[in-house]
Order: sequence, then structure tokens, then C-alpha cells
Amino acid sequence: MKKVFFLAAKDIRVLMSDRGNIFWVLGFPLIFAFFFGAIYSDAGDGPSGMKIAVVDEDNSSFSTSYISKLEESDALTVIHLERDQALEQVRKSKIAAAVIIKKGMGDGFEAIFNRDEPKIEIAADPSRKMESGYLQGLLAKAQFEALSGNFTDKNWMQDQVSQWREEIEEANDIDTKDANLYLDLFDSYDNFFNDINDQDLKMGFDGDILNFSQTNLSRESDGPLTPFQITFPQAILWGILGCAATFAISIVKERTSGTFQRLLIGPIGKAHILAGKGAACFITCSFIMCIQYIGAKLFFKMPVGNLSFFVLAYFCTIFCFVGLMMLISTLGRTEQSAGGAGWAIIMIMAMLGGGMMPLYFMPVWLRPFSNFSPVKWGIYALEGAIWRNFSLIEMSTPCLILLAIGLASFLLGVYNLHRQED
Amino acid sequence: MIEVKNLHKKYENIIAVNDVSFKVDKGRTFGLLGPNGAGKTTTIKLLCGIIKPDSGTVSLNGRTDPTLIDVRRSLGVVPQTLAIYEELSAEKNLRFIGRMYGLDSQILNSRIAECLEIAGLSKRKKEKVAKYSGGMKRRLNMVCSLLHEPSILLLDEPTVGVDPQSRNLIFNTIEKIKKQGRTIIYTTHYMEEAERLCDTVAILDHGKILDIDNVANLIKKHGGPSHIEAEFEEIISDIEKIKKYVDNTEIQFENNIIRFKTSRPMESLAKLNQSGLRFHSIKVQTANLEDVFLNLTGRRLRD
Ligand SMILES: Nc1ncnc2c1ncn2[C@@H]1O[C@H](COP(=O)(O)OP(=O)(O)O)[C@@H](O)[C@H]1O
Ligand SMILES: [Mg+2]
Repeated sequence: MKKVFFLAAKDIRVLMSDRGNIFWVLGFPLIFAFFFGAIYSDAGDGPSGMKIAVVDEDNSSFSTSYISKLEESDALTVIHLERDQALEQVRKSKIAAAVIIKKGMGDGFEAIFNRDEPKIEIAADPSRKMESGYLQGLLAKAQFEALSGNFTDKNWMQDQVSQWREEIEEANDIDTKDANLYLDLFDSYDNFFNDINDQDLKMGFDGDILNFSQTNLSRESDGPLTPFQITFPQAILWGILGCAATFAISIVKERTSGTFQRLLIGPIGKAHILAGKGAACFITCSFIMCIQYIGAKLFFKMPVGNLSFFVLAYFCTIFCFVGLMMLISTLGRTEQSAGGAGWAIIMIMAMLGGGMMPLYFMPVWLRPFSNFSPVKWGIYALEGAIWRNFSLIEMSTPCLILLAIGLASFLLGVYNLHRQED
Repeated sequence: MIEVKNLHKKYENIIAVNDVSFKVDKGRTFGLLGPNGAGKTTTIKLLCGIIKPDSGTVSLNGRTDPTLIDVRRSLGVVPQTLAIYEELSAEKNLRFIGRMYGLDSQILNSRIAECLEIAGLSKRKKEKVAKYSGGMKRRLNMVCSLLHEPSILLLDEPTVGVDPQSRNLIFNTIEKIKKQGRTIIYTTHYMEEAERLCDTVAILDHGKILDIDNVANLIKKHGGPSHIEAEFEEIISDIEKIKKYVDNTEIQFENNIIRFKTSRPMESLAKLNQSGLRFHSIKVQTANLEDVFLNLTGRRLRD
């Protein structure tokens, strides 16, 4: 075991003696994180807070509560404008989007859930897809929160019920039997709201029914808080990929330059040699992780949902790609072919797995293929820790997949080395 | 002690090693002499277990599996392709290799100093190998294999592409190692090296050993006649008279010089002296391993 570390130490020394390597391993992923982070975020505003305008044409209590929910969000900076001003600002890219709340939004259930005539209109620059993606998530969240306030408001609910009662009574085309059924239901609602005191109603909804559905919903719609939470996992993946590819090339370089022969005739086994390489790669990646993490915290103020899950996701991802690269390094005969194959495989995995673009920008027919890319699972696990608020069970799926791929590739790599005669 | 029996190794369509057998006693130096592509490197690789033979056996100090860890500890191999890290200094290279062989740090430090001294690299031990000359790299490549003091040393063309100074240093080192009683196999395509260093030489061509013996015997068996060139003080006027004093009929005349081949040069010269002609100079070129190879294969060692 000691020898594996001596091997690893030697590899890191060799790697670090080449400036090109340092760039691919350290510089490139950091540039990637910064570059894409900056593109996706509003350059003027900095990463913490997308600037949007709200146009309140409804002026109801619901719209006010909705806007206050938006204002509470850390990810948003909200200004109030008239419709024309707001649209103008969007055109000039002064703000990321304008959210227009149309008249009638506070009218009740129908207004909110009416798909044919949406009461909320988002005007955003189409080139800033990423932001409107978040924004929709954040808007849905605010809407839900505002709505849940209404559910626990006895008067608002009673108003709703009496409104429905009127509609049923006035409707001519409903069968009387059916109409009576509805009216009976509304009667019992009325009784319910009359009897229950305010406090119990709040507890009932907050404690059980609503909280339950709220957690489920927020899973989907909570979304990342800053764009760096999306670009950061990608940057991490690039860092690992760059590091792993550099090591794969270094193995082939050893094999072609003769030093590998010296290792082979030494008193160590082939699995040790590969493990040494793997350990070197792993240690380097971990070092990069620390730098990236500190950078993300310090410069981009990126919140990480669950630090221990983050570390777990990171190590599983590194393990996977280290294994994969060990395998790739035993496939190529020459430095060029391994380097070429290594990068080609990386590019394909990255493209398929959402390493270049977030998966939800990918055409739907292509998305299933992403399951074959470990990049996807790496990003998924990292996102799970950073902003998806995964539970341990949810984390375990991508993590186990990553570990399995890593282990299988490593074993295959050792097998390849044994089979080959140099 | 090294013993090799009926080794065969075939690559796709080339038989690289064809029924090779030999034995090297402890403390002896054995030479594998043959041109490029003869199968020297393949034989070395078979010996140290990097590749497996199609058939045949290898035995190192009585152990038949060279891939066993403790067999490897007693084995030093100087590969033909440089096997050192260009990105590291000479010292770091040696330290790394020493650690691989599990030398403890005190022994390692003194061994590193010794090896750097042997290689003449003490002064530049902190420099990256990439900055070294070809000769310096070769020297380092060699001492990297001496670090763990192996009892068996396999050297695969350790002097390829080095300056005469480095070559001498390498020779001196090998002669020193020989005196320490280590068993050595030395491959080369330079006959001078085999003649100077090896107790026994195997002539290898196309994967086959053509003969194994000490240098003197090989020359006696396969070297053919010596070449004599005699220059006289006066121009030879009577060719027929001279011919009486030379056994060989294939005699060349050129003004006052004659050239002929003979298997017994001293006796031939003594006989020629009786002709009464006065010699100006005599050149006797006895047969060497180059001639041995030429006679065995019809080709020269270096084409
Ligand atoms: N890995 C290999 N694959 C195919 N042919 C090989 C391989 N290694 C050596 N050979 C062939 O085997 C023969 C012997 O090679 P080698 O042992 O390297 O010769 P030498 O060291 O005497 O120059 C050559 O014809 C060479 O082309
Ligand atoms: Mg060779």
C-alpha cells in the first residue's frame, strides 16, 4: 500500500512539472465555472440575485402577497414598474425579465389554474434561456406559497365556496341531481369553515396536507438559487475529466517511454501500478475540489445544500472517472491515440450527460441517452447535494451507479494490462 | 545462475526468439551478440518476465517464475529504451525507484549517493533529466538498475548512442560489477564490447543462436584466416619467386606490397622472411567476431 502512494507522489510530481497539465487540470475548469457562471448570471448584477421587474395590473391582495413572496427570494431582486417601462428594460437587457400580473389573478382558483388564459406573463430575453428557466421555477414557488396562504385564510375560502355556489345555481346546463350534489358539498364546506377556528385551520393545512404537497412540489420547482449552482457541478465535472484525461495520457506516456517497463520489472504488481495512477488522479482531483469549493464559496457565494453529500457525490464522481480513464489508458497504443480517444470519449460523455449544457435544454428524444453518460450521474449527484435537496436514498442512486462504473472500468483496465504484452 | 531452455517467442508473423538455450554460471558475464532485430531485447524481456514465452523455460537462481516479487528483487534490468522520468531530477528518479524496491531511507540515501557517483552525475543530481545529454541519460538509466544491488543484471544495449566518454564509464562500471561476483547478461551489436566484457558470447541472428563459446574459440572456429599485408623496401620484380615462399596462391601484388590470407600468420611471415627481401612494414589483421558473424551468416553485424 505504501508503494501505491510512492507511485502516486511520483505521478503528481511528474504531472505538475508540466505547465500544460496544470492548465488542463486546474485552470480550465475554473475558467469554465467562471465563464459560464458569468454568462448565465446577469453580468451587471453579480451572481446573487437576478434582477426582475414586476408589473402589478391586478392589485389584489393575492397579487400583493405573491409579489412579497418573490421579494423574499434571495435569488431575485425585484423592482416595480409599469408595463411599457418594464418591457423596455428587458429589451435593453437592463433586467433579466419582466413579470406581468394581469388583471384577475386574485379572482380565485379558476384564474390561477386557468391554462387557456394565463394570468402571469413573463417577458424575458430569449437569449437568456437559463434565467427564464429559473425564473419560472421561482415564480411557481412564490405562487404556491401565496396560494397556501389563501388556503389557510377562512374568509377567502368561504368567498370561493359561495362564488362556486352562485355559478352552480345560475348554470342551466347542469343536471339538477349533479347540481344538488355540488350544493351539498358546498354546504358541508360552509359548515366546516364556520365551525373550525382559525388556528386549527392553519395547523391542519400547514402541518399535514399542504406541507406534504409543498415539499413534493418544491423538489421540482425550488430550483437553484444562483446560476453558479448549475455551472459549478459542470465545472467540477470538467475538472475531473481534465484531470483524469491528463492521467490517462500520462499512463500511455509511461508505457511508450519505457518507464512502465521499469515498473513492470520492479517488485510490484500491475494492479498496484494502476492503483498508484488512480490514487494520484484521485488526490489531484480532491485538491482541485477544495480549490473549486473555496472559490465557489468565496467569489460566487454559492450555497451548498448539504456539504457531506457534496463530498460524497464528489468522491463517487472522481472514483468513476478515475476508473474510466484507467481503462482508456490501457486501450490506446500510442500517446496520441489514447489522448485522442480519451478526449473524444470525454466530449461525447460530456455532451450527452449535460456537461456542456444543462440537460433540460437538450432535445427530448436525446435525453434518454444521457443515462448512459456518467457525466449525467456525476452532475445529478452533485446537484442533488447542492440544490436538489436529495435524501440519502435519492443520493444513493447516482452514487452507486458512479461507483459501479468506476470499479468495473478499473478491473477491465487491469485485465487489459494483463492481457497485453509490451 | 541463469538457465534458459528452448525458448520460443513468436510475434504475429515473425519468430523473434527461436529455440534459444544457454546457461550462465554465477559471477560470469554472458554476451548476446547480434544485429538489430536479432531477438536480443525479446530474449531479455522473456528473462525478466515482461512477456511470456510460447514455450521453453527460464530459471533465475533456480527460480522458474521471474514475475515473483522476491525473484524481481534480485534482478536488475537496464532496458534498451530509456526508462527514466525526464520530468524529475536524477536524484528523484533514484529515490522513487529505491522506494519501489522497498529500500529503507538510510540505505537508500547512501545508495543514491553511490549511484550518482558511479554515473558521474553527483554535481547535476538536482537537474531535470530532460536537460541531460544522451550519454548522461544512459548512465542514469544504468545506475537506476544497480540501486538495489541485484545479483543478476541484464543489460540491453546500454551504450547505444552515447559518446566515447560515457561508453568508457559504462564499461568501467560493468567491469567493477563483474568483480563483485554478479551474474551479467549483456546484449550488443558492437563486437568490441562483447570481446572486451564477456566471458562467453552467443552469436544471435534471426532469433537463433548460431554458436556459443568464449571469444577466442569462436574466432578459432569461425573467424577464418588472418589477413597479412607486407610492404617491401624495393619493388617486387620476380613475382614467381615470391609465390614459392607463400602457401596461399591467392596472392595480390601491388608495386612493393603483397597481400594474402593465412590461418597461421607467424609461420607464414617466417617463411616469407627467407625470400631475402627486406620488409618495410608488416600488417597482420587477425580474425575478430565481425568475421565470425560474417562467416556464420554471410552478412555483417552492422549493415
Ligand atoms: N511487440 C512486438 N510485436 C511484433 N514484433 C516484434 C515486437 N517486438 C519485437 N518484434 C520483432 O521481433 C524481432 C526481434 O526484435 P528484438 O528482440 O527487439 O531485436 P533486437 O533487440 O535484437 O534488436 C524483430 O523482427 C522485431 O521486429
Ligand atoms: Mg533490442
